[in-house]
Amino acid sequence: MDLKFLIVDDSVTMRRIVANTLKNIGYENYAEATDGKDALIKLATDKSLNFVITDWNMPVLSGLELIKAIRSDESMINLPILMVTTRGVKEDIIEALKAKVSNYIVKPFTPAILKEKIDQIMSTNPGVN
Amino acid sequence: MTKTSNMAQLFDKLNDLKKVFVYGERLIPVIQSLVDFMRDTVPLLENINRSIADSTSKIPKAANHINDVTNATELATTEILDLVDNMNADVDRINKMLEELEKSEEQKEAMFKILNSTLNEEQKKSLNELRKVTTNKPALVKLNELISKIKSDANNITLSLQVQDITSQQLAAVNHLIQSVQGRLSSLVLDLDEADINEHKNEEEQVQSSTFDPNARYHKLTSHQEEADEIFKKNFEKASQEEIDKLFK
Repeated sequence: MDLKFLIVDDSVTMRRIVANTLKNIGYENYAEATDGKDALIKLATDKSLNFVITDWNMPVLSGLELIKAIRSDESMINLPILMVTTRGVKEDIIEALKAKVSNYIVKPFTPAILKEKIDQIMSTNPGVN
Repeated sequence: MTKTSNMAQLFDKLNDLKKVFVYGERLIPVIQSLVDFMRDTVPLLENINRSIADSTSKIPKAANHINDVTNATELATTEILDLVDNMNADVDRINKMLEELEKSEEQKEAMFKILNSTLNEEQKKSLNELRKVTTNKPALVKLNELISKIKSDANNITLSLQVQDITSQQLAAVNHLIQSVQGRLSSLVLDLDEADINEHKNEEEQVQSSTFDPNARYHKLTSHQEEADEIFKKNFEKASQEEIDKLFK
């Protein structure tokens, strides 16, 4: 399955780091969004995007709100969403889980962790949109 | 009798009045010292007021400095990422060149084998010596190791740069705190011209609390990730059990 990632982060540094890490683990195909609202626009216009990697803390529309918006859309209900955030508090992780995030990474992360989580998501959710 | 009683009452009241005057006389110095105290305090309060107003007006500058620091570190990080990308591109080019060298080395090895089969023992010895002298294989192995190390170091630099995102969130939290303090101080400065404070407030520069994590920390401990993994693992186990339960209903 060819994956096309949507990297959602308001920090240009983090977008580049995630993109570079994806390249290192063998994924070249990706697009970028600067916040949750921008991500929803990109998802609506580019139907080849089939994996979302999002930060939590963003202006306009946060990562958590983005997950809720995606999950409330019937056409994207099974879209894999990986949250990559500094928020490592248990309550936050549970809140993301309740919003139906597919998996969760606490920054700073390593390529091994990113690969592990993508593989885990794809093994439990092979039929991505 | 009535007149005497009335006079007695009148004297009593006069006595009471006298007591009031005596008390008043005693009170006057106290009131005077209170007035003096107030007179001394007013400039002091004005001074405090001015200091608070002065500090309040400086806060936006401090907040701007923090924003400048964030922008500068982001710019510097981007420049480092550019350099790392260039390094990686160079490393990829070197890798390709090494692959070519390895191929030519294999061709050379094959030619030596062909030659070897056509030569006598003495010539074979000389050819073997020549092979040993001209082989680049050990150097290629070392170069490959070195290139892998450079690539790994470059990746580690990229990953360490996540610190920029984390510190920028910490700085945004400090900025938010400073702006909260400014709000409180502004409300304390009652007689200060409202416009004076407001002119320093730039609404666009107000930090939204939703854009940062006040608890953001840069550490290489995996405890938070392990906790997240444990929560997800439990959730999936629970979900699986629920699914099994549904099948039996």
